[in-house]
Amino acid sequence: MSTPEVDSGSTIESSPAGPPTGNSFLGDVRVNFTRWNRKAIRNPTAFLLEIVIGLFSLVLFAAVFGDVGEFALAEAGYGDVGYVTFLLPAVLMQATIGSSFNSGIGLVGDLDSGMFEKTTASPMSWTAVFAGKAASELLRIALQVGAVLALAVAMGATIETGLPGAAAIVLVCLPVGVLFMAISNVVGLLARDDEVLNAATMLFMFSLLFLSPAFVPLSDDIELLATVNPVTYGVDAVRALVLDADVATVLDVTAFGSVWNTLVPAVAVLVALDLVFGALAVWLLGRASSANAD
Amino acid sequence: MTDTSSRTGATDSTGGTDPTTRTDTADRTDATTRIEDTADRTDAATRADGGADPERSVAVADLELTYSDGTEAVEGVSLAIPRGEFFGFLGPNGAGKTTTIKVLATLLNPTDGTVQVNGYDVTERRTAVRATVGYMAQETAIDEELTARENLDFACAAYGVPSAERDDRIDELLDLVDLSDVADRPAGGFSGGMKKRLDAATALVHEPQLVFLDEPTTGLDPKARNRLWDYFRRINDDGTTVFLTTQYLEEADALCDRLAVIRDGEIVERGSPAALKRRIGGEILEVDVGDTEATSDAAVADPAADAAGADERDPIVTAADIARSPEQFGDDATVETTDDGVRVTTRRASERGTDFVVALRQAGVTVERFDVEEPSLDDVFLAIADGETPDLDAADGDPADDEQRDDQRDPVESEVTV
Repeated sequence: MSTPEVDSGSTIESSPAGPPTGNSFLGDVRVNFTRWNRKAIRNPTAFLLEIVIGLFSLVLFAAVFGDVGEFALAEAGYGDVGYVTFLLPAVLMQATIGSSFNSGIGLVGDLDSGMFEKTTASPMSWTAVFAGKAASELLRIALQVGAVLALAVAMGATIETGLPGAAAIVLVCLPVGVLFMAISNVVGLLARDDEVLNAATMLFMFSLLFLSPAFVPLSDDIELLATVNPVTYGVDAVRALVLDADVATVLDVTAFGSVWNTLVPAVAVLVALDLVFGALAVWLLGRASSANAD
Repeated sequence: MTDTSSRTGATDSTGGTDPTTRTDTADRTDATTRIEDTADRTDAATRADGGADPERSVAVADLELTYSDGTEAVEGVSLAIPRGEFFGFLGPNGAGKTTTIKVLATLLNPTDGTVQVNGYDVTERRTAVRATVGYMAQETAIDEELTARENLDFACAAYGVPSAERDDRIDELLDLVDLSDVADRPAGGFSGGMKKRLDAATALVHEPQLVFLDEPTTGLDPKARNRLWDYFRRINDDGTTVFLTTQYLEEADALCDRLAVIRDGEIVERGSPAALKRRIGGEILEVDVGDTEATSDAAVADPAADAAGADERDPIVTAADIARSPEQFGDDATVETTDDGVRVTTRRASERGTDFVVALRQAGVTVERFDVEEPSLDDVFLAIADGETPDLDAADGDPADDEQRDDQRDPVESEVTV
């Protein structure tokens, strides 16, 4: 037992091991998952609004860009693809990004209300706290994507890969969601202001969507920007599942065959970005919850 | 009762004079204070003995915390808080109260010093500390979208309260903080006092051995404050150690067994509320006087003198003059005139009050009201916050000085007796 010196001739002994806390990692994840689900149910406005925005965007973009889109599709060799079908990945990405940014807004809310500090002061694992919150947000993203998919099909969109493809589309949207949840948490931790986050949502959502092949086939003018744009990979992956074809726009992979030539590299890029931005967000969260006197 | 560490002039780690030395010197002059300040000597013993003591909820030795911008928020704080004590930590804004409490609650790492809470080192056994303390932050921290019951359920889960016990524990706490009727309503609709009570309840779901309350009643109306006070008393009566920071002196006075006052990151005074008031503020003697009695020897014997020096026979002025004489209350008394008499702030109010009244009567002044009051803790706090703590060593320190003052007092007493 170490006995560090405290005062002249006096010592303070090392403290004993702590008592069992009754906490477990999975239990901590579950309680935080439950908390954020309860909050969403109690105040469903943001959740419902994201669904409405997704549905509204699908109808609006189809109406406004329909003619131009059909023309561009014909020029790009997608003559047999309806514009609603082509537009579907764009609207799914928009819904996913918009919903993901609510993660940062929730974090800022907890910072403002003192719940962040209160949670930090408890014996819960901070990683479990974050995982529970993220799991709740991913559940809501999956529900929103499902709602937009259902409406798109009702409006005449065709998912060539069928029901399994639809399920895969929901799954592909999740790494996109994780990426933008991480980005929104980084912005939230740096700005600690939900107005900044709202502005950042619009900035990320529209600039990245329009710099990708989301609304119209990719032109040479923006190919370079599209290559470094994560939304491009989300759009490509979803579109590959919608059309059951290799539709990669910036990567040329032939190793997997057909739809997988798009799906595998696109998802790999998204997962890699998740790891990078997720690590950044976790590092910042760890710093915010740490006991260092910054 | 003696204290070796104090009598030998205990020094803190910086080599400065230990504040408790001054405290204990004062003890020798006042038997009552001596009894009340036993706990102070425990503080001194913290530094002398060290060690994880199961009887102590908090043991802090030479705590320092410097923020990355160079701000020295806490500079050499040492504390020892026995289990079951209701401890108050006072100080003005920016004094270091919240920083200290955050170190104790493991939310900030100390820059230097050793801090043990419930026997666990706050940096080495953080989870153990967190599992055995409750923390109520300065700002109300509840989830307003959840109901009161859901907030408590979340807190139960966060502190690992077994599922089988949760419902009973939640009902018990809702009853304790008087929120049973609104248990299933979202907390966002609660009043400020209800939110504070709910917040306090969430800090107690795991029946902690020690609870930190950081300015818990700030912003509450008196009724809500009183309800929280009752609540805090009840949890303390049940054996929970309470560490309270507050700027409300009446709160500290009403609740705390013992206080420490922090200023500019250093503890400048400590002791029971009553002892602090006596040591720093003295007592207040108020005497209302009536007209000078017609039998005043001077007035009867020499009417001309009466006309020439009317204000000498003004009973208030006469009373003030008598009070100001060093023989009456010593050199450190403050004498003010009021509309009806005089107000004397002195450490010797109880001891010399009767003699003063006798002296007034001998001077022909009628005493209509006589009252000895303790100063408010606000007076003490303001003096400390402004850095105007009297030099206690000079005031109360050396027993020889007391004897000398006693000698000076004797002639007056003889005169009165005669």
